[in-house]
This record gives sequence, C-alpha cells and structure tokens, in this order.
Amino acid sequence: MFTYLLKRLGLAALVVMAVLLLLFSMLHMIPGNPAILALGTRASPEAIAEYSARMHLDKPVLTQFVYFLGNAVQGDLGQDVFSNRAVTSVIGERIGFSLALICTGMGWAVLLGVPLGCLAAVRPGSWLDRVTGVFSVGMIAVPSFLVSIWALLLFSLELRWLPAIGAGEPGDLADQLSHLVLPAFAIGLGWVGYLARMVRASMLEVMGEPYIRSARAFGLKPRRVVLGYALRVAILPTITLIGMGFGGLISSAVFAEIIFARPGVGKMIFDAVSDRNFPIVQGGVLVATGFYILVVLISDLLIAWLDPRVRSSL
Amino acid sequence: MTNDILLNIEGLTLDFRTNRGRVKALRDISFPVRRGRILGIVGESGSGKSTILWSILGLLAGNAEVTAGRVEYGARDLLTLNAEGLRAIRGEEISVVFQDPMTSQIPVLPYARQMSDILYRRSMSEADKRKAAVDMLRRVGIPDPDSRVDAYPHQFSGGMRQRAGIAMSMLTGPNLLLADEPTTALDVTMEAQMIGLMRGLRDDFDTTIVVVSHNLGLIAEMCDDVVVMYAGEVVETGEVHDIFHNARHPYTRALLECDPARIAEVSRKLPVIPGDIPDLTRPLPGCIFADRCQKAMPDCARVAPPQVARGGGMARCHLLEGPLADASWPPPADVVTVGRDLGGLAPAKVRNDAPPLLDVHDLNVRFRTMGPLKARMNGVSDPFVDAVLDVSLDLQPGETLALVGESGSGKTTLGRTILNLQSASGGSVRFDGQEIAGMAEARFKPLRRDMAMMFQDPVGSLSPRKSVRALITEPLVIHGAQGRDLDAEAERLADMVRLPRSFLSRYPHELSGGQARRVGVARALALNPRLIVADEPTAGLDVSVQGEILNLMADLQAEHGLSYLIITHNLPVVRHIADRIAIMYLGRIVEDGPAAEVFARPAHPYTRALVEGVPQPDPDRRRPPSATIEGEVPSLLRRPKGCDFASRCPLAQEACRRAKPEHIHIAPDHRHACLFPLSTTSDLTETA
Repeated sequence: MFTYLLKRLGLAALVVMAVLLLLFSMLHMIPGNPAILALGTRASPEAIAEYSARMHLDKPVLTQFVYFLGNAVQGDLGQDVFSNRAVTSVIGERIGFSLALICTGMGWAVLLGVPLGCLAAVRPGSWLDRVTGVFSVGMIAVPSFLVSIWALLLFSLELRWLPAIGAGEPGDLADQLSHLVLPAFAIGLGWVGYLARMVRASMLEVMGEPYIRSARAFGLKPRRVVLGYALRVAILPTITLIGMGFGGLISSAVFAEIIFARPGVGKMIFDAVSDRNFPIVQGGVLVATGFYILVVLISDLLIAWLDPRVRSSL
Repeated sequence: MTNDILLNIEGLTLDFRTNRGRVKALRDISFPVRRGRILGIVGESGSGKSTILWSILGLLAGNAEVTAGRVEYGARDLLTLNAEGLRAIRGEEISVVFQDPMTSQIPVLPYARQMSDILYRRSMSEADKRKAAVDMLRRVGIPDPDSRVDAYPHQFSGGMRQRAGIAMSMLTGPNLLLADEPTTALDVTMEAQMIGLMRGLRDDFDTTIVVVSHNLGLIAEMCDDVVVMYAGEVVETGEVHDIFHNARHPYTRALLECDPARIAEVSRKLPVIPGDIPDLTRPLPGCIFADRCQKAMPDCARVAPPQVARGGGMARCHLLEGPLADASWPPPADVVTVGRDLGGLAPAKVRNDAPPLLDVHDLNVRFRTMGPLKARMNGVSDPFVDAVLDVSLDLQPGETLALVGESGSGKTTLGRTILNLQSASGGSVRFDGQEIAGMAEARFKPLRRDMAMMFQDPVGSLSPRKSVRALITEPLVIHGAQGRDLDAEAERLADMVRLPRSFLSRYPHELSGGQARRVGVARALALNPRLIVADEPTAGLDVSVQGEILNLMADLQAEHGLSYLIITHNLPVVRHIADRIAIMYLGRIVEDGPAAEVFARPAHPYTRALVEGVPQPDPDRRRPPSATIEGEVPSLLRRPKGCDFASRCPLAQEACRRAKPEHIHIAPDHRHACLFPLSTTSDLTETA
C-alpha cells in the first residue's frame, strides 16, 4: 500500500513536470518579447532589460524552467505581471469559484445520472429506460458551451429566473448559489447522460452475474440485491470514469466561466493568455493539473477501498 | 400426498422463447422428493436438470414460460406463489449450493456480511448473526473461523470457497437444500470431501437434499434416490441401487456404460451414444431417446412410451410394457447391453529403445511474485515461486503420456513450457534430439509444425468471427500454404476428424461441445504434427461424447504414429488411454511409470489418494469418509520445506518434513519421490 502511494506520487510529480515543460515551451514559441508585451511598446530599453533580468527572461528557456520549478517547490509561483501580486494569492481568491462550479457540476450529474442508469437497468425496456436512452445521447452530443449559451438566453434573459453573469455578492450565500445554478447545469448535463449510460451498462452486466442470482436465491429483498449487491460492484468502473471526467470538466468550466463571467481559475487563465501574463498562466495550469491528478488518485484509492481484490493487489 | 414427501413436482412443463422458436425444455416432469433423503437428478447437458432447480425457486430466466404443472411444497404450489411468498421461502426453508463458488459469491463483501444478510429475517443482534456465521463456518471445516469470517471470497481457495458456500446455504437450517453441480468446479480430493460434508450435514440437520449433476460417481456416492433425465424428460426414477445395478431404460444403461470408471478392463476404445440430443423446438412425438437408442423399434419414435412402475420408481420405455414389450428386457444386472465395440483390446505397447521424441530434463519454471523494490522493502530475499520444479520426463513416438494433477500442480505450465510458450528458468527440453528450451521464436517457428496444442476451452480458443473452414486451415496459412488448395485441405481435415463437411461454413457458436472439440483436433492435426499436447481434452464434455473424442484421438494415433502429452485431472479416462502416467504435485513429479503399474501398485501416497479419491459410479463401492485425504493443495508461496505432500500425507513422518525426497526407481521405467513408499502389494490389499 505504502509503496503504491509512493509510486503514484512520484508518477504525479513526473506528470506535473511534463505538463509544465510543454506549457513553457509553448509560451516561448508565441511570437513577441514577453517583456515588451508586459511593459508596453513604449517602455524604455532600461526598463525592459531590468524586467527581463528580474523575470530571468534573458536566460535560456531550460534555465528559466529550473528557476520556476525551484520557486514553485517553495510555494512561490511568481508575480502577476500587471498587479505585481503573488500568483498564489491571485489563484487563491479565484480557485473557490472554480472548485464550487466543477464539484457542483459533477455532483448533480452523479446524483441524477447514477439513479437513472440504475433504474433503467433494473427495468430494461421500460419507458424510463427508453427515455433515458434517447435523452442521454442528446445530452452527450451537445457541447457544454452551447448549453451554457442556451441556458443563459432562456433562463436569464428570456425568463429572468436566474442571474446571468458574475458569481454573486461575497458573503451572500443565496446569491452565490443562484449564480452557480446555470453554469453547473451547463457543464454537468453531458455527464448526466454519460453516467446514466455507463451505470446502466455495467448494472445490466452485473445483474446477470451468478452472485446476483445467489443473493436472490437466498431470498434477499430486491432493493437490497440491487443497491447492496449489484450497484456495489457496478459502481466501480463508474468511479474511474468520474475521476477521469474531472479533467474534461476543468475545460468545460473554462467556457462556462467565460460565458457567465465567473471570476474562476478558468477565466483567469483565459484572460492571462490573451494578456501574455505568463506567471498567471503557469500557476493556473499547475493548479489545474495538480487538481486533476489528485482527483484521479482519490478515485483509485476509493476503488481500492470498495474492492478488496484491488486492495490486496496494491 | 403423504407426510414423507417434502416436495412434489407434478407435470411440470416449461418452454424457453428463443429466436429459433419455442424450445420445449421441460415436458411433463413428475417426481416426489422424499423427506430426509438425498435425491440426485442426473443427465447430460441440455437435459434440463438445472432448469428444474430454478423452477422450484422461481428464479427462471426471463424467457422461460411455465405452461403446465405444479411444484407442491406442503400445501403451497411454488409455481403460483407470489413474489413475497417465494422470497420468504428462499434461503429460509429452501436453500441452494451453487456450481461455481468462484462466481456465485459476491467478491466485494466479506463472508460475515454475506452471511448476516441471509439472516435478515431473523430478529437477532448483529453479534448473534456473526456468531451463527462463525459456528456454521466451523461446522463445514473452515479453520480459524473467528477471523476467517471477515475474509473475502478471493482470499479463499476453491475448496474453501465451496465450503463457505455450503455454510451460507445451511445457515438458516433449511428443510430442503438444492445443490447444482456442487463439485464440478473442484478437484477430486475436494470433491470427495464435499460429498462427505453434505452427507454429514444431512444427518445433523435433518435436511433433504436435491443434487443435480452429470457426474455419475457423485450421484452413486451421495444419493438415495435418482431421477434420470434426457432432453427435457424424466426417463427413469428409482432408488440408487436399482438405477446403478439394474436400470430399465436403455438411456440409463447407455449412460452408465459410457462412464470410463465403470469399465473394469483397460479399453482403448470407449463406448459412445451415437447421435446428438434432438432438436427441442420439435421434440419427437414418441420416445425422446428413440433416434439414438440401440433397441429402438419403428413405433418408438411415434408412440409415447408407457410409464412402468417398479418399487417407488418408474421407467418410460416400450420394451417394458405394451405391444412392443420384450420379455428379455431388462437384461440382468451388469450385462453389457448397448452395442459396444471394444475394437479388440489394443496390445500394450512395448517401449523400445528408440530415441525419445521429447526429452525433458530437470526443467524448472519460476514466476516472480513481486517487484524487486517491493521485495526489498518487505525483506523478501527470494520473490519467486517454482511453478515447475526439476521435472524430467520423456515421450517416445506413438506413445501417450498423461500428466495428472490437481489444479495448481503446474501441469499446464509444464505443457506450455514444452511448447515454448513459456520460458524455462533452467533445465532442458529436447525435441527430436534438438534443444528447444529458450529457443528464439523465429528459429522455433519451423518446429511448431511438429508440435500442436489442443486447448482446454474448445469454444473459447476458437475465434468467434471465423468459419470452421478458416479455423482449421489457419495453421496452414500461418506456416505458409503456397500452392495448397485450402478448400481441399479443409475437407480432408474435416473427414479426418469425422466432422460433416457441411459444418465447414458454420461458426463456433453454432457448434456443440463435441463438435468444437473436433475442430480443435483438426486444427492440431493440420500440419501433420508428431506431438500433440492436449490440455484437458474432454473437460466439459458429456460422457457419451467424451468417448467419441478419445476414440478419434486413439484412431489418429494408430494411423499417424502421433505422440500425445495429455494434461488432465480425469483419472478414470487416463486409465484407458495413457501408456504412461506422471503424477504432479506442486510442480514436482511425485511418481511416474506405466499406466497399468501406477494404477495397480501406486508407490506414492498421493497417487493412491488420487486413484482412490475418484467417486465410484457404484453405490455398493462407497468409501467411508475416512478414506478421503484431508486438506488441500498448499499455495506455491508456502511450499513445504520437506516433501511437498507431507502436510496432507496420512503416513508422513518427521523425516518427510526435513528434506525433499529424491526420485527413486523401483523399476526401470517406474519412479517415485517418497521416503516411505507404499510397500507395493500388502498395503493396497489392506485398504481394499
């Protein structure tokens, strides 16, 4: 178990490094001098030289990368080019909005998708099964940014039920929640379809297993057989899917944050890329990558906890 | 209905709706289950024997439809009982032991939880439920049940898992226990233990047992009453002695005669029941067995046979009563009745001094159990297990060597290593004088033409998307068939394995078990090999078909001088087909020699345990429970330091636990590895 965790964490560090290296080289391939971009075209050569030296822009890319890594390990992700504030504190005040959005999006998808898939599998061929089958395809097929725009037009502009932009007044929980509803709906909708289909398929498979027949033969109640036995096994592949799904949700959240003008990490990265605000981009991507790796690790540990066969092979 | 009848099945008729039409799977099934007795339902695959069990429990597949009949349990008819009522009976009054303990127990819940779930209807505290579970696990022979109750199924071996399965079914003290092929997934020594266990439980708990099996040995050893089924009908019922010693239905007779364990003299040719099970979408109007029956008369296929009672049982056959009755039928007990061509007893092959075709010397195969890092962290200095340990054997042209052992004995690994599908870690394998162990695949490929494999799972080893024609010519294509007429080759091979040519355009899922086996044989023969390694060539086949495949293999051997290495655990079959036997235990050969010698005078206690462990299809030759060896094959991870078998050997002494016994020759071609071999004549007569 310990070796396993060690291995996974080592692997995670490698992945983060690779992602950052890729990002670094990409940023430096974008034409234009970052110092001029940051300071403006009318900046004096001295100011540019001073800025380049301060940001280590005069060193080779690889050296810059090593500097960046060294600082990152110490919890320093550099400064915002424009405000000179620490990147960590900029991300710190925005990450809450993104986490709330992503977790709510996946949360409602799980709460609706899993029971739907379950019910469809218990009664294959029923009207619920057929409706779920048709609608889930639609939900998966429509991109989340389109859902965002439609939802915005319909519920905010046309019906005026929910606020259109922003994240709500700080401190006003009800207002913040009402601002969360539409973007979370938009990014989670596709996942309702995915999860319903996935759970239905694996439930159907598990319901045909001999051990389910055993449970019935011992006279267990149908509810117990379905929830305590079949779902207990069928949920395992779904957990892996959910863990990996967070990766997709991070990018859906970028669109949702742009469309709904939510001050989250996604919107921050998007703005920083257009402004060539490299420290912010790097810090944002680092946090997103770390979050994704953490979620996948948690989902794997969750499976190990739920499945003794996996646990004993760790 | 008298009080000594616990369950009465009356006229049960059932169809399966399939896309081929309605399969009339059960037709007019009637028999009583008497209280306190063990009833065996015996029949081949497709006879509908398991379907009866599931209809008793109301757990039939969704496409099943009961069209007539009653299943009377007390005053109730289980077929019309509502879901609520059935659920109250399941697990409490009627319980089940399942065929495959690997798949019938949920892998993600510990036994404590699975067992307390079964007791959900009882108003007991959780602690009491746990105690009940522990007590029952102890009763079925699980060692250290207080902690094992928290184990998960995958942490148990196959035998332990089936014990736990029996414990689960007996937990509520049911009136009726249904057992569906309870030992089919287990080794012989485990099988004998399970039979003893279930008989003991019947006595202790006064439970009535219905056991479904195709294994005549199990039925004879365990049951009091027998129901014989064929193609969805009950053809004969009776007490076990009457069925096994004086059966009245030609099918029962034929089935018994096909069992290799009932053929006393060694016979290269085994009896078979010609033909296939009839198409149940259109069953015959008369006797269902008519088209395969040796005694069939023209009217048999048209007129339904009379039901003739004897004792508490009955048989359905025209020979017994009515215008077609034959006064000389049934012939006296134990007389061969169905046409059986022994083909003359083949003379025992004499081993000459010809150079062996295959010569394996001190072969070792080791598997790594954990990565080097983990091994170092856990302080394991030798993270390997020996799957095959110092194995030496040789095989002459035209000879059949049987490699016998329980699961986990390393016999399949040895077979794979000989075919260079698994790399050896030491020793040599010489084929026709040429060293092949560790040979690179590119150099080995031409040699593959001379060696072929018959795989254990006949259908699973065939690509489902290829036609039989493509499948049996595949080896030719792989090994370059330029200029050959593949269609002609396919027909030649089909004729060789007696597969009708019309089958060449079929696909694997359209084949029966026996037909799929024939395709496997044809594939093995395609390149005219000299050695065929056959992994469990008859596993999963009905006895009536098993003979066909073995006879075919024997004919091909005689015709082409093939050598066979047969990997199997089926000793009764081995006795008839093998020239020599090698017994494996934990990767080591504990005894090898001429088949007749090894059977008649086993030197190693393990050999004797295997030979005597096979349940005999004869109720008069039941063994006392003490005759079975205890325990099970230890894990390779815990290989004993001394003799591998010492932990289970009834004769083990201190010296056995200290060092591995060397191989000792007691005859030029008969070796064993035992410090205290059975003194070859006296011991055997004592136990017999």
